[in-house]
Amino acid sequence: MTDPSDIAVEVADLSKNYGPVQALKSVSFSIESGRYYALLGPSGGGKTTLLRLIGGFLRPSAGRVYLHGQDVSHLPPDRRPTSMVFQNYALFPHMNVERNVSYGLKLLKAPAGEIRDKVERMLAMVGLEGYNRRMPHELSGGQQQRVQLARSLVLERDVLLLDEPLASLDAKLRKDMCLELKRIQEKVGITFIHVTHNQEEALTVADRIAIIADGELVEEGSARDIYETPEKRFTAEFIGDNNVLPGVVANLSDGRVTVDLGFASVDVASHGVAAATGDDVAVSVRSELLRIVDGEPDAAWQIMPATYVEAIYLGLTVSHLVRLPDGTEIVARVISGEANDGAFEAGKEIAVGWPGDRARLHVA
Amino acid sequence: MFYVPVVFFVLFFAAPMALTVVWSVFERTQFWMEPGFTLFAYDNFFTSARAENYLFSMVHGAAAVAISFAIGFPIAVFIRRRVTRVAQHRVILLFILPFMISELVRVFAMRPVLGRHGIINSLLIDLGIISEPITAILFSPLGVIIGDVMSFLPFMIFAGFLALEAVQNYIFEVCDDLGTGRVRLFTHIILPLAAPGIFAGAVFIFVNSLGVALVPTLLGGPGAVNAGLIANQAIVALDFPLAMAISTIMVVTLVALLYIGHRLFDLTRILEPIS
Repeated sequence: MTDPSDIAVEVADLSKNYGPVQALKSVSFSIESGRYYALLGPSGGGKTTLLRLIGGFLRPSAGRVYLHGQDVSHLPPDRRPTSMVFQNYALFPHMNVERNVSYGLKLLKAPAGEIRDKVERMLAMVGLEGYNRRMPHELSGGQQQRVQLARSLVLERDVLLLDEPLASLDAKLRKDMCLELKRIQEKVGITFIHVTHNQEEALTVADRIAIIADGELVEEGSARDIYETPEKRFTAEFIGDNNVLPGVVANLSDGRVTVDLGFASVDVASHGVAAATGDDVAVSVRSELLRIVDGEPDAAWQIMPATYVEAIYLGLTVSHLVRLPDGTEIVARVISGEANDGAFEAGKEIAVGWPGDRARLHVA
Repeated sequence: MFYVPVVFFVLFFAAPMALTVVWSVFERTQFWMEPGFTLFAYDNFFTSARAENYLFSMVHGAAAVAISFAIGFPIAVFIRRRVTRVAQHRVILLFILPFMISELVRVFAMRPVLGRHGIINSLLIDLGIISEPITAILFSPLGVIIGDVMSFLPFMIFAGFLALEAVQNYIFEVCDDLGTGRVRLFTHIILPLAAPGIFAGAVFIFVNSLGVALVPTLLGGPGAVNAGLIANQAIVALDFPLAMAISTIMVVTLVALLYIGHRLFDLTRILEPIS
């Protein structure tokens, strides 16, 4: 269905070793043109290595990188249709904003008038009109990142690589810059690949997210799918605030799987996950979908007995901490001010559960 | 407690400096000097061969700075760019080691290297590159310059490296991304960013080559002098006002250099991390 020319970036069996350390283990995936794509994962998981391999800052130990169908694995960064925005401190400290942004075009020997027009347009796009003469040390962290963005975008390359571009900004500014980045990406229409360890950031900016951990691509999908229907247990543990419960498959029937958790049995939809009776599996349910049941449970609910521990007030939500019979503590979250936001008595025997198909089954 | 640096500065820098200037205008007596005001010492300096010698030693100093830059700065760039981060400071430490040896020994040790039958000449003759020993490299103005470079080169390496150490690796990666190329990376990026450090190193080398009397004494041959040696000779001749006048002129030269450097590069930047 997808036209191959619409694939902006494709990596095939890409590996990178640092001595005996495998930073990236044979990763393959492709990104459609014009997407805002996030590489999300814990620190040291290989996502920055992957980005640098795509940009040409590192040479792969094995595998290939294709940009618009062209094998660029052997090309240096400036010969690839990519440009990189770095974490911070990447502006030329001895050049003002205008010279920083125009430097790349000057190297390409573009006409002076054209350079001036493009630089002005870019500075307007990133919201820095009139900052032409400012030096980098006179700018805030957010402004410096905007200049970096302008410096890369002005080159008009097809793919923009962003390596933790907002990591050094404070939480409020990061939120604003996320929306700003998304707006700019929609405006310029090129492919953005954004590396981050911050899931909120990834969910805000990205159309599609790839979870990278331990040098491998764990899972890839739309932002909503990754959050709501994670396939892999790691994704469930990493994204959102999931309660992950290990168990054994007790029974299979017609797309439904009964999982024995040891202290309770729950029934979940398999969603095509292949499991056999006796397999070790995990069931995940997001904390905001888990409910505390005080009284007679509905027969259609999946129910587990539990002991109430405490309530933690977090502003927007209240987290109820409960202990399952096997000793694990899990969390049920409710919006503050809504029903059930008050604490129960500690040690009270209650039940937790969820209606319908809110839990996910994971085999790995 | 916080006034300790102030007291230290006054006692060991400002006061001696002021005394030097004051004594330079005192009247000379047979063995010492007496209070008074005369510019005789300055007149003596500027109307004798001393002024010319002083200028010559400034030219030699400039040559030593230029050669040290040509040799030392590439070493600094190499250490910053090609040596792994953990090993960089150890490599720099290697260049400090010669400073642990007495300067007298260090400079004197260059005689058997540079001499008529020294290591360099023997090697070149054995290799058949020359047939007669090169005599211009010892007991000559060139010998003094070589001595200055060998003695003070590490200053250029340190100062250049320290300036480059403050440059983030991202900067070099951005250059790769933009396609800056080697030559423009050096002229557009490395040189301007390291300029304050290079200047600081240059001042150290220049001042030392002007003031350290040992190098022309041991390597310079007959008649070789620098500013430090002229002052020494004045002291030996018990002409203290003249020695003080020469010192004052050296200080004025240095302050003028620092002022120019500060206007050009803002020397306070050396002590700041680059943002």
